[in-house]
Amino acid sequence: MIKYIIRRLLYLIPVLLGVSFIIFVLFNLVSGDPTAVLLGKNASARQMAELREQLGLNKPLLDQYFDVVKSAFTFDFGYSWATKQEISHMILQGAYPSLCLSVPAFVIATILSLIISLVVSFYRGKGIDLFVRIMCIAGVSVSALAYILFFQYFFAYKLGWFEISGFEYGFPDFIPFVALPAIIFILLSLGPDVRFFRTVILDEIYQDYVRTARAKGLSEVVILLKHVLRNAMIPIITYVVIQIPSLILGALLLENFFSIPGLGGITLNALNSSDFPVIKAMAILSSVLYILLSLLTDVLYTFADPRVKLK
Amino acid sequence: MKSLVFVLSCLMLSFACSKEKTFDEREINLISPEKISGFDPINASDRYSGNETGKVYEGLFEFHPLKRPYELMPNLAESLPVVSSDGLTYIFKIRKGVLFHDSPAFKDGVGREMKASDIIYSIKRLADPKLNAKGWWLLDDRLVGLNEWRTKNSTTENTNYEEEIEGLKKIDEYTLQMRLKKPYPQFLYALAMPYTFIVAREAVEHFGKEFLNYPVGTGAFVLPKFEQSSMITYLRNTKFRDKFYPSEGEEGDDKLGLLADAGKKIPLIDKITVHVVVESQPKWLSFMKAKDDLLEVKDVNIQQTINSKKELKDEHKEKGIRLIMKPMLDVTYFAFNHEEPIFKNRKLRQAMNLAFDRATYNRLFHENTAFDAHGPVPPGLGGQTKEFKNPYIKYDLDQAKKLLAEAGYPGGKGLPTIVVQTRSDTISRQQIEFFEKCMEKIGINIDAGTNTWPELVNKVTKKQHQMYTMAWGADYPDAENFLGLLYCPNQAPGSNGANYCNPDFDAIYKQATIMQDSPERTTLYEKLNEMVALDAPWIFGFHRTDIYLAQAWLKNFKHMEFNHSQFQYLNVDLEVKKQLSKKF
Repeated sequence: MIKYIIRRLLYLIPVLLGVSFIIFVLFNLVSGDPTAVLLGKNASARQMAELREQLGLNKPLLDQYFDVVKSAFTFDFGYSWATKQEISHMILQGAYPSLCLSVPAFVIATILSLIISLVVSFYRGKGIDLFVRIMCIAGVSVSALAYILFFQYFFAYKLGWFEISGFEYGFPDFIPFVALPAIIFILLSLGPDVRFFRTVILDEIYQDYVRTARAKGLSEVVILLKHVLRNAMIPIITYVVIQIPSLILGALLLENFFSIPGLGGITLNALNSSDFPVIKAMAILSSVLYILLSLLTDVLYTFADPRVKLK
Repeated sequence: MKSLVFVLSCLMLSFACSKEKTFDEREINLISPEKISGFDPINASDRYSGNETGKVYEGLFEFHPLKRPYELMPNLAESLPVVSSDGLTYIFKIRKGVLFHDSPAFKDGVGREMKASDIIYSIKRLADPKLNAKGWWLLDDRLVGLNEWRTKNSTTENTNYEEEIEGLKKIDEYTLQMRLKKPYPQFLYALAMPYTFIVAREAVEHFGKEFLNYPVGTGAFVLPKFEQSSMITYLRNTKFRDKFYPSEGEEGDDKLGLLADAGKKIPLIDKITVHVVVESQPKWLSFMKAKDDLLEVKDVNIQQTINSKKELKDEHKEKGIRLIMKPMLDVTYFAFNHEEPIFKNRKLRQAMNLAFDRATYNRLFHENTAFDAHGPVPPGLGGQTKEFKNPYIKYDLDQAKKLLAEAGYPGGKGLPTIVVQTRSDTISRQQIEFFEKCMEKIGINIDAGTNTWPELVNKVTKKQHQMYTMAWGADYPDAENFLGLLYCPNQAPGSNGANYCNPDFDAIYKQATIMQDSPERTTLYEKLNEMVALDAPWIFGFHRTDIYLAQAWLKNFKHMEFNHSQFQYLNVDLEVKKQLSKKF
């Protein structure tokens, strides 16, 4: 397994080279000259030219590409062109509120979805199964924005149960600020999660080994929890782990509406201000996270199903 | 199940009770609708960065918080400067006893006195080529020797701040001389803008690249460290000099209670908390829950604020909320690219102006609160007169069709589809759709080009457009700031994105913009405004209205376009707050 992990980690090298190349090409060929946006409405041609020189945009393209590659491998992203803040500091500062919101919400949503899926699978075809399926479809049919607007208005403003917006650093100070967005996050996740988990569990329920277990006289609960769930874990792990990078990168809508200073807005602001170093940092970070989490998924498979061997 | 409900209820109650309201702190709560990126004055390019920078830093001058039209008054300068007869040399007397905030950057952590050398340093810093400040345009090619100093230092490893510049001379610790290359009547406005606010060299050097997170100014409030967060908390500067609330203002200010604190030492409050809230709903709800004391009302919230008579709705009046509505110094427009051969045709431009249904647009997108723009200069500035009515901004389809035919395109025949570049947000797209419908009525086909902000700016600066939409807000209260949008040498990548060139206009503009404020200059500005209005270089849009809601307990708030320094004058009536808070 160690050899497998090392080999997978080495995959990071071509992936980072590829990502650097794509970001570089997109930025240089598609997005155009950033200096007018960076200098504001009164920029002169001369000042734009000076800034281009200063940002290294007049260097040969190959040199510029090597700069991107270098920062991808050293994780030294430098300073933001737009805010002049140190990018690693921006990311660390934004990651804390994002994680305060998304980690507990994600964990609760996943556990809750799994429990609901097991229950409805147990009662498949019955009233409760139908009810949950209808609720899931209704849930995913309504826009996330509608939930946010309604919950913020009703629970935070009308009933006054939660803070309307804002964030305070430190535990437990942040709890009143992230409670309502976390509840919305959970509700938004339940629909798609339950539908997926239910389908996966039901796929397993009709397998031969389940019939064998029943023939041996095992109870439905034991069959579900001990046999079906274990076999269903492979697609569930894949589904869950693949969502983690997006958690770290922030829940843009929720963060914006609840004024949580997370990572969600950083990429968007960077795109709106042609802030290439920040765009580059966020893209590289996403790729690395994606690779590492794919690796984690593979490792978790071996725990979920001992037949899986990593070679 | 019951126990679960109980636990949840307790949790919610604990959240709800976590912040009990107290009424003993002289604090005001404000909203910034945009994220603040840092506190470096030389890059405080937008209104909201300027507002935050202005709480901790100060300039030589500031706009009077009450007098209108806007009037400059000395701030870190002791008085208005003595200006030589040729208008080129300015002698400034610097106020004594002004202290920088305490900071580890200073010896023993104690803020020292601000002197003439700090002003020279701050201006050189604005010109430093290595910093490439957003505010450099303000002094670009203005002071004798400054551009040369900038050029010389662009190739050196370190910027030489020791080198003397002819246009920036310290006469003594409290006297400063500045010499201009050519008359610059807006010069004192420049010295009231955040870009030229005074910083301490020790702080810049001590904090290095982190300087923007450790503001060390001379202002009424202190902020020891800035963190990117949803909240910024400023505390009263206990070492702030003796500065007093003004005892005179505009007519009617007395009745509005704006002179109740006349002569009192400022700041009148101990703390300002700024909540960074980007979206409309949480801004509105926080204000309506009395968590914030002032709200800038925009877009969807306008309908919730005023009725069809443009008056504050009764439900808000009952809570003592005040409505403040004042025209902004801005202009919105659809610009033609005058390098496109079809737009050299004046009659076509005039026809398109006449086909634009401004009344419906105003109702749909501004809740009828905006004013038709008759020219580029907004009301309230010398250069715009009530008497002048632009004949091409009325909605007259017959006249538009007639002019279109005279332009050589009867019923729009022969005209290609015109692409108007705009932003990709929902409102911008709706506005272009409305514009399309208007032009369709005279046979002109319009296509919308939707862009992110960087894409739009790129197309305009590279002249890669036929038409685009934009708004321009005043940097300072002078019509030159608007007329310059149509001055030929300012064409793209400068602020004249329409690339409009009119030699007659340029000649008068050149003459007027070096004249000091005078009736003669105002006459020239009026002439320029009317000249371009009739030539229709843009489809003129609107001058929009600023709408604010203020809680009854917030005192001394008066609408101010250039409000960087306004916050030090605000006050709070805690007794009123205690009584009225029950209604929220």
